[in-house]
Amino acid sequence: MHNPHAWRFSVLTFLLALLGSGILFQMVRIQADPQARAWLVEHDPYDGAWVTYYPARGEIYDRNGNLLAGNRTIYEIGVDLQAVRDPESVALAASIYLGLDYNTVLTQITQPADDVLYVVLADHVPPEQADKLIELQQVLVNDPSGQSLAGLRFVPHLERSYPEGALASNVIGFTTREGQGYYGIEEKYDSLLAGVPVTLWVPSDPNRAEELPDIPPGATLILTLDRQIQAAAEQTLDSALQTYGARSGVIIVMDPQTGEILAMATTPRMDLNHYWEYEQIFIGETPFNRAISQAYEPGSVLKILTMAAALDSGTVTPDTVFLDTGTIIVGGGYIHNWDGGAWGYQDMTGCLQHSLNVCLAWTAVEMGADVFYDYMQNFGLGHTTGIDLAGENPGRLKLPGDNDWYPIDLGTNAFGQGVAVTPIQMVMAGSAIANQGRMVYPHVLYAMVQDGQQRNMSTQIVGRPISPETAHLLNQMLVESLSNETSLASVPGYTLAGKTGTAQIPTAYGYDPYQTNASFIGWGPVDDPRFLVYIWLERPTASPWASQVAAPVFRQMVEQLVVLMNIPPDDIRLQATGGE
Amino acid sequence: MDNVTGIARKVQQAPWRVQRQWLGLFLLGLVVVTLMAGLHLNITTRTALAGRELQFLQDEILNARRVNADLETQLANLTSYSTMRERALAMGFHPARADEILYIVAPGYQPPAPVNLARSAPPAPVSLLLPAYRQSLLEWFSDQLTASNQTTTR
Repeated sequence: MHNPHAWRFSVLTFLLALLGSGILFQMVRIQADPQARAWLVEHDPYDGAWVTYYPARGEIYDRNGNLLAGNRTIYEIGVDLQAVRDPESVALAASIYLGLDYNTVLTQITQPADDVLYVVLADHVPPEQADKLIELQQVLVNDPSGQSLAGLRFVPHLERSYPEGALASNVIGFTTREGQGYYGIEEKYDSLLAGVPVTLWVPSDPNRAEELPDIPPGATLILTLDRQIQAAAEQTLDSALQTYGARSGVIIVMDPQTGEILAMATTPRMDLNHYWEYEQIFIGETPFNRAISQAYEPGSVLKILTMAAALDSGTVTPDTVFLDTGTIIVGGGYIHNWDGGAWGYQDMTGCLQHSLNVCLAWTAVEMGADVFYDYMQNFGLGHTTGIDLAGENPGRLKLPGDNDWYPIDLGTNAFGQGVAVTPIQMVMAGSAIANQGRMVYPHVLYAMVQDGQQRNMSTQIVGRPISPETAHLLNQMLVESLSNETSLASVPGYTLAGKTGTAQIPTAYGYDPYQTNASFIGWGPVDDPRFLVYIWLERPTASPWASQVAAPVFRQMVEQLVVLMNIPPDDIRLQATGGE
Repeated sequence: MDNVTGIARKVQQAPWRVQRQWLGLFLLGLVVVTLMAGLHLNITTRTALAGRELQFLQDEILNARRVNADLETQLANLTSYSTMRERALAMGFHPARADEILYIVAPGYQPPAPVNLARSAPPAPVSLLLPAYRQSLLEWFSDQLTASNQTTTR
């Protein structure tokens, strides 16, 4: 049974075995070859890429859920050089739709630098502009003439956007295209809003694809601002600046029981969507938000703090009588009343009502410097309030022992001269009087939303500089003072407390004899204060007196507030609450 | 002894049967290897497809989030204070004055509270990948055994 052709099978088997061995040998040789390592290293960049995922910047809402700062889609437009078929058409389209130079784009595409595969032509292109290019690219896909925009790439990403434009711009601040927050809330809470970027290795090989971790967006912030009250404050301020010829101004509306800022209007303002106009709008040292950053001598509005200190320390009572001769000497210097006149016998209500400098200087002298300045510091003067906005100014309260403090300062400080405060400091100090002695921390952040959970800010009492009894007494005095002296601030049907302040402006050569700062601080309804309003008009030209220019602005503001905040007149409100 | 050797030679299989057995064994091995290679190819392909789908879905999620943020901002633009005010004025409305408002005492009335943007319940962490794409065969066996034990003990 010997097969004479068996040798053929043996030869075939041998050849196949040789071939198999050869393949195996070659596989091992290639793996072991030193060049193999070089190829592996060369291949590394194509394995995947380190990609940084930036979370969407957190949104900012007002207290009623209206979006104040959000994000919108914009495009990065670039060219994938390996996919370009018609460089001239790409360059032409870029020059027409993106305003780029034709020759520059053409050179970028046709003569790229070594190892460059992708060229960015433009970034932050608005969707309406990018859409035209996308449409044109699609139209030219199978164009018989050979024109093509193949290779153009459109990479959408998010950019900060402010739907309300300039509304509350001084409070919100802005975010640049690089994602950095400046001023206001955007700067103060920048890290919270920005979130945490995550850098991951993303393999090109789909076999190695892994689940991306959830990248949470930045925290969403809800502000205490009320969009409608903010708009009303800004309109009222703009109107007042025009009516009274003031250079600039501030209106702050705060809930004196919680410290929530309902509105903070200042000038100038800017459309936050055009933040690059900042330098044209805020010329020189113009602060972004005067309400917190610009200290000034407030004048007679500070008398409410002096009187609060005098009453609380027991130096005077509302019935204490003072004989006003029109002049008092303090620290060797003469102090006169605003009108230069002598007002005769006055009780303390009369002193406030007629805003008598001499009387308030006397109360400060009677208290003594230590007691007076202790109270002023307890009211927060000379320190930042800590409000959650970037760029707060601490003002200046000179103290005995300072190089530039003189004994006469005790007298002048008592009526708001020689002391520099910011409007927000006066608002915080005023809250102690409005709120039964409890001074609240002014804040703009109402709540923070992160991981689907909302965390509300709680009211913080930062001090009790005066007793509830003192606050009650002073409220009564200010109600009487407001109803008699500054009737332009009164709002029929509502019991309000308030005080005007007309302050001369210090210059390098003494006080300016012509120009003033006009201020007003007031709150209401006095038995259950829902709002505290601070007005400051810088250098009004229509009248130098706060009672003529700031008091009417207070009234206009309150007339709108009672509507927007649903505060009925006192008689109806007391009827609804059972006269409590 | 010679008889025994003779019997062994007589029952020894024919050479062609031995060859056929070897060939059968070889073919069996070939079939097994082919099956394993086919299975491996199938799983690799499905994994690759799933990987691509995963990458695609992740891009879709990021895209949906971006579009959502954009739409939210567009909506806010359309309902901004200035736009709404202009629309209201154009429709003949004007801001209410205090003397135009009639207040009615409504027992139990609660003024509206500030907005609450919290989700009603925090979302449970959801994995995008099915266990089949994350588990080894041993882990899968272990899970199945655990599950069957739990079922039988109930």
